[in-house]
Amino acid sequence: MSRTDAVTRILFEAFPTAEVRLFYAVGYTAIAVFLYGVYVQVRKYRRGAALKLEGSIWSRLGDMTAKVLDQRTVARRDAAAGGAHRLIFYGFGLLFLGTATITLQYDILEPLFGIRFWQGKFYLIFSLVLDIAGVAMLLGLLYMMYRRGWLKPPKLDYARPDRAPGDADFERPQYRREDWAFLWTLVVIGFTGYLLEAARLVWLEARPDVWDTRWWSPVGALIAAALKAAGLEPHGGGVLRLSLWWFHGLLALLFIALIPFTKVKHIFTSMASLLVADPRAAQRLPRVPENQETPGVSKITDFNWKQLLNLDACTKCGRCHEACPARATGAPLSPRDVILSLREFANATLESGTVPAAAELDVHGKSPGQIAQETLWSCRTCMACVEICPVAVEHVPIIVQMRRKLVEDGAMDPLLTKTLQTIHKTGNSFGESKRKRGAWSKSLPFKIKDARKEPVEVLWFVGDYASFDPRNQKVTQTFAALLHQAGVDFGILYDGESNAGNDVRRVGEEGLYEVLAGANIAALEGASFKTIVTTDPHSYNTIRNEYPDFGGKYQIQHYTTFLKQLFADGRLEVEQPLKRRATFHDPCHLGRFNKGYEAPRELLKLLGCELVEMGRCRDNSFCCGAGGGRIWIPDPVGTEKPAQNRIREAAAIPGLEIYVVSCPKDLTMFEDALKTTGNEGKFVVKELIELIREAVPAPRTEAPLA
Amino acid sequence: MSGVLVIAEQRRGELRPVSLELVSAAQSLRRDGDSVAVAVLSAAPASLTAPLKVAGVDELITVKVAAPEFDPDTFESAVGALIGARQPDVVLVAHSVDSFGYAAALAAKLGLGFATDVFKVQRQDGELVATRGGYGQKVNVEVDFPGRRTVLLAIRANVYKPPELPGAPQVVEFAAPGVTSRSSGRDFIELSSNDDVDMTQAEFILTIGRGIGEEAKVAQFKELADAIGATLGCSRPIADAGWLPKSRQVGQSGKTASACKLYIAMGVSGAIQHLAGMKHVATVVAVNTDAEASIFGVAKYGIVGDIFEIAEELRQCF
Amino acid sequence: MKILVAVKQVAALDEDFEIREDGRDVNEDFLIRDLNEWDDFSLEEAVKIKEGSTQPVEVVAVTIAPESADEALRKCLAKGADRALRVWDEEAQDSDPIAIARILAAVAKAESADMVFAGVQSSDHAFASTGIATAAFLGWPHAAVVSSLSYAPGAGSAVFRRELEGGLLHEVEIQCPAVLTIQLGINTPRYASLRSIKQAAAKPIEVKSLAELSLAASDVGSAGSHSRVRRMYIPEKGRAQLIEGDAAQQAKRLAEIIREFKGDAP
Repeated sequence: MSRTDAVTRILFEAFPTAEVRLFYAVGYTAIAVFLYGVYVQVRKYRRGAALKLEGSIWSRLGDMTAKVLDQRTVARRDAAAGGAHRLIFYGFGLLFLGTATITLQYDILEPLFGIRFWQGKFYLIFSLVLDIAGVAMLLGLLYMMYRRGWLKPPKLDYARPDRAPGDADFERPQYRREDWAFLWTLVVIGFTGYLLEAARLVWLEARPDVWDTRWWSPVGALIAAALKAAGLEPHGGGVLRLSLWWFHGLLALLFIALIPFTKVKHIFTSMASLLVADPRAAQRLPRVPENQETPGVSKITDFNWKQLLNLDACTKCGRCHEACPARATGAPLSPRDVILSLREFANATLESGTVPAAAELDVHGKSPGQIAQETLWSCRTCMACVEICPVAVEHVPIIVQMRRKLVEDGAMDPLLTKTLQTIHKTGNSFGESKRKRGAWSKSLPFKIKDARKEPVEVLWFVGDYASFDPRNQKVTQTFAALLHQAGVDFGILYDGESNAGNDVRRVGEEGLYEVLAGANIAALEGASFKTIVTTDPHSYNTIRNEYPDFGGKYQIQHYTTFLKQLFADGRLEVEQPLKRRATFHDPCHLGRFNKGYEAPRELLKLLGCELVEMGRCRDNSFCCGAGGGRIWIPDPVGTEKPAQNRIREAAAIPGLEIYVVSCPKDLTMFEDALKTTGNEGKFVVKELIELIREAVPAPRTEAPLA
Repeated sequence: MSGVLVIAEQRRGELRPVSLELVSAAQSLRRDGDSVAVAVLSAAPASLTAPLKVAGVDELITVKVAAPEFDPDTFESAVGALIGARQPDVVLVAHSVDSFGYAAALAAKLGLGFATDVFKVQRQDGELVATRGGYGQKVNVEVDFPGRRTVLLAIRANVYKPPELPGAPQVVEFAAPGVTSRSSGRDFIELSSNDDVDMTQAEFILTIGRGIGEEAKVAQFKELADAIGATLGCSRPIADAGWLPKSRQVGQSGKTASACKLYIAMGVSGAIQHLAGMKHVATVVAVNTDAEASIFGVAKYGIVGDIFEIAEELRQCF
Repeated sequence: MKILVAVKQVAALDEDFEIREDGRDVNEDFLIRDLNEWDDFSLEEAVKIKEGSTQPVEVVAVTIAPESADEALRKCLAKGADRALRVWDEEAQDSDPIAIARILAAVAKAESADMVFAGVQSSDHAFASTGIATAAFLGWPHAAVVSSLSYAPGAGSAVFRRELEGGLLHEVEIQCPAVLTIQLGINTPRYASLRSIKQAAAKPIEVKSLAELSLAASDVGSAGSHSRVRRMYIPEKGRAQLIEGDAAQQAKRLAEIIREFKGDAP
């Protein structure tokens, strides 16, 4: 045998058998504790409601593996943290694999089959790789400590907006303690690992196959050199090695045993959460199951197992907390704290042998772990939280399902109650007679086809605001004129159209949503058309993603893709390019919800505008605040509204002339905010359709529109 | 006997002005030879007769009753007895909270012809015809009372003008039968508030209604009212929601803008109860996005537009 | 203990409505029906008494109307009424409030009701009479425009406040059983979710005929009414002088009007 062939590390070298047995006893105990912990967690999830996952498990697995391997979700909006976490992940992963490899040979392959591979060249390269892995992990951990302790990013502040200082669960110092304990434990394990490595080298320096190959463990070798220089002798090295061995081993086993009981469990729960993720969770809400007694969620066990798993997957990274427009404007809502509160509640109630009585499982209220009404009603369902979460927590469906219970109990702002009653009575949120729905079209010089009576190629679903709000009616009329000019064969449903229901559903009035969806689908089924076009992103979202669950599957486009195609086909031409500086506000339901970022930008480019992006654009677009039914709920007096916050962001763009929107609610909210923030006169808010009209004037033969 | 019997209203020792409006209404019903009698029911009726000595009143009937304030059983019994004794053709009461409490019961019990919230009375071919509103005051309805010997009408307030000339009616007493009332009045309660504004004295009022949408918008109109020198008032929904004190509510159950000469209503639709408090004002300007809002029917000037825009622009003019 | 709540499905006018050919009512096609706003409050008051009571209280909603009013009754069931009753026969057509009250009184007797609540008035025709007329037929104590109520189920009396003109309140004690007409704002009516309305649709609505209540045709309809509609017409609306222009111009004119009034220089 050549020297390199035989090179390996003898495990438990010089250990009395009793000590080896002791180690294994501790090891098995640790594993047993770990398994018990896992059992308690799994039992907790199983105490939730049932859920059938859709789609193939293989594509899910593939998706999850890709995300976990490249850690792309952790790097979003925080490249440095992403980089550091990659180091920790790959480092820890390799070290774990390393240990597993050793165990594989030592405890399974060798005793059973006599196979040995962890030796020679393999062993040496293995040692080098793991040394580097350890350094990577330690560097990552040290950065994280620096980030947490010195940089102190706001999203790591655990103070919550839905509690007051002095409340029992206001700041949760136990979270900070756990975070630091996690970091320190790993650092200590890593560092003692190297010390141990070095001590062994010193202890066995007389053995050439150890000492001569020591630079394959460079860090250990360096430390060994330092130890020797400090006067450590082989005998001392042996003692140091033995004590470090036990310290490092016990600490590592303790760490493993405690995984299911601590933040460390995110290693598994985050992967599981990614595995069971629903990429359309916020765009397509779940229906109320037929047999459910009370709609929505009242008890912690009304959540399904996936949602309970979501609660555990959260790593308190704070990205949702940072992205939330309600939190940013001082509302008592942080998506992070909704999840963490519910997690604490689930842990307190579902981790013991028996589940407590139903009365103790109520998640609504103001006690620790419960969620207050004001918190739930603050949500704009803009899905900024769901979209950015690295571990696929689905906050919006959780909030909406809790709202369903509030709606059933009538626990809503009186204005919201009135609006829901109005929508039920008249099919629109303005309380106008159904017959008036098409009234905006009367002033046009041409008649728009009634899609209920004759076939059309394009059915235009107009929407409430576009039909009844005076400011938006101007945009609607302009769009009609553009379609007419382009020679599009289009029609509308006139009073056959009702509120599409997107926001009614997100308020939690599922019963009313079903009535609206049913009415609209019946009207659509009775019409003959090839495709639907809409100027309202909310209608777009629900018709595209949710109506199929109710029997209405249609091809639908937002007007931006439709008009883009008209320009591409030459049916509309830009005659007067607008050389103006503009910024585009991505509407939540078009952008983040349905990834419709490009068409509006291409249109602006076509029009000749100079597009300057705001910091929070595309997937990070900052909601105008009208979603989730909030346009029907008054904002508390004296607070900043999300729309004002957003306009101020735009105002920081030097020389900005136009703030472009492509959603009726955005138009309403931002024109109001422009005035109330004192920016009137500095720049204007314009609907993209209005800009197109400026660049594509009406033909001279027709009467000019108001 | 025939003629017109008017039942006056009193509260807390004072005659309610609507009683005089009833006298004017009675004039459009009297036929030649008819007399118009006004009955005052009170614990001390003699103290209330002075204001009723006006032209058009032939008889003043004082009816002493045990109850110091309005009480349904007392009124039903006394007015029933009056009708029984005098057999009038028409009995006029005010369409008021008091009459809500007894008029319909009296009509039901005695088989009287009956209509309420009447704003026009006339005789057509000798027949009594009363006009009232319908479908939320969007239509007018003419009703008559075939086969009814006596008709009881509740007349809308602030429609008829009180008589201007003095008169000298004969004053008689009427002994009402004893009655055991099944309800007893206790205290009157005024809703006090820190806000010591008296809408009934304000000459220039700016009123906001449901159209302002949310509480946060009230501040803007408060500021506007101050800027233009008007007293800020509101319609019922605003007071019910607590956005302004009840003392600021103009309308039937709120205050009457008695002294007001210029009234600007923004975001007010013009429900009949609100109109009751302000439609008498000489100059009413209505601002509303809905061109069909009832308020435009009583306004001298109208602006169909966005109240916030108008408020903004108006603010800048001062 | 039973509280009978008399409700009405009122009709509002749709856009461009037309008067019927006989000139006495609006063409039915232009009527939008809904539960009377006042009845939301009277029903809620009854349900609140039921929910706050230690002894069992049954809340029964009743309406005198044809089948189209079942929708309004369903809403009442969804909002907490225990039972819903409807009485109708063709003869009851054209009943005025007093004729309706006669029927309601018969229902109250048949049901052995202990209290009767009604709204102060209905939002369509605003007679403000039906509830109080019912009391006359029952011979019960009665009061109108109740804006707050303190009543213990089964008690011999109740204390309430009536809301007078000008916002003044008058506190009164009344013997019970009694008929009370309830004013807006006495409570906050609960929201009936669509789901609860749908579930209420499964509950039966008991329908009674006049005969079952021992009422004759002469008691109801035109025969039993104390008034008759001769003519319904659309009044000439007083026209406000509209100020034209954009917001700035309109505001400027308004400012002129204000200055004129104040006697200031324009």
